Amino acid sequence: MAQLLDPEPAIRLVQAADAPLLARPYFADGTPSPITRSLAQVPELLDVTLPFIGAALGASALDERTKEIVILRASAVMECRYCVATHTVVALDCGLTAQEVAALRGNGAPQGFADGRERALIAWTEAVAAGRGSVEDACLDALREHFDEPAVVELTLVAATTLMLNRYASALRLPAAQATLARLREEGLA
Amino acid sequence: MSALAVSLEAGRLTPRVWFYANYHCNLRCSYCLTESGPGVPRRELGPERMLALAREARDLGFTELGVTGGEPFLLDYLPELVGEMARILPVLVLSNATVFNARRLRALEPLADLPVRIQISLDHPDPVENDAMRGPENFAKVVRAIPELIARGIAVRIATTLEDPDAVDPAESERLCALHRSLGVPDEDHVVRPIIRRGRADTGDLGVAAGFEQLDPELTITADGAFASPFGPTVRGGRMDTDLLVTRTIAPLRRPAEALAGVVEGSPPGTDTRLGIR
Repeated sequence: MAQLLDPEPAIRLVQAADAPLLARPYFADGTPSPITRSLAQVPELLDVTLPFIGAALGASALDERTKEIVILRASAVMECRYCVATHTVVALDCGLTAQEVAALRGNGAPQGFADGRERALIAWTEAVAAGRGSVEDACLDALREHFDEPAVVELTLVAATTLMLNRYASALRLPAAQATLARLREEGLA
Repeated sequence: MSALAVSLEAGRLTPRVWFYANYHCNLRCSYCLTESGPGVPRRELGPERMLALAREARDLGFTELGVTGGEPFLLDYLPELVGEMARILPVLVLSNATVFNARRLRALEPLADLPVRIQISLDHPDPVENDAMRGPENFAKVVRAIPELIARGIAVRIATTLEDPDAVDPAESERLCALHRSLGVPDEDHVVRPIIRRGRADTGDLGVAAGFEQLDPELTITADGAFASPFGPTVRGGRMDTDLLVTRTIAPLRRPAEALAGVVEGSPPGTDTRLGIR
């Protein structure tokens, strides 16, 4: 499993005083994430990427729990310490138990998910994150038993967006936000 | 109508596009915004790119071009480039006027019939005071160059940059004006402006602080990206400031131009805090 130790970022994280004009709204609340602070170096990308991430991973037709299972499991498979840390907190906040979160973060196949819908979701997520080429029919068919086509499309975008962020955060060695690390210590998950 | 067209038509976005041709300079002025000097990274935009962007600027509705640096005339291709740019839109070039030897003056002669003005820095009527800020022999070179340019039919404007323009001794101011008139530069072509506390001026604790709210929005293109003002792409401690960065993308020009217009149009109406620096 990915270690949650705070790495040194590979690039400069923009401070609020240096925030470019297009990035200023994202610094307004005083606690921009390391993703925001890194993307602020190229403000025209920040200005489109953050709304996209918000739309793909934020509140939508799919329930939060389902989306966080995909995000956290994909991030664990990809060994992205930033995304695992960040979405451990999000997953707890949206109702996953500490045991479920620990299972999704672990190396082996997650145990403790009795619902067949969620087991199919986890297996499909692992196939998308770890696999190459297309996902096997059996895995996709198992998912389709529980989710209609628009949901499959959205889940695929959730997974793909997560993988993009996994590689972005890992390649740039982004450190988790201090508030996230504090919460993980509080939960005994650091 | 696009935000860009609205901003330009309403005068909220200055219709001039600035180009930082380069960042290196033969001088190392105490208040330089860009920490320019000999041996610094050149960060050249290059002539082909500047020409292409100039054409796009015209097509987007901009009506004037500006060229600054560094010292732009250290680039041998600059006179010819400025001539080509002036066939697209009128050009204002900023220079310290200390590199105008006989060869460069000859290269400038074709600009006489084109809409080109050269804005030259001259800060004080006294050579010792002037050179303290701008370097040895600056005063002598400038007062020698200006009549040479004017004699060749090239329009010259003088810019005086002061720590506090409101506190200047009237007698000193009159001596400076008498000097520029004697050099052939009329009063309407003499501008006085404050030192902006950015770059080396900030390091040296000089000038007035100025951010986006104080500066007229003028699209400014550098090799490192597009900025909201020619006072934006400043360098401090060797690193480019980003607080006035608009986009890293400079071509197509439409992208930073529309982004800046969007910021300008999004600015809340109300008090005008801009300094009106030219």
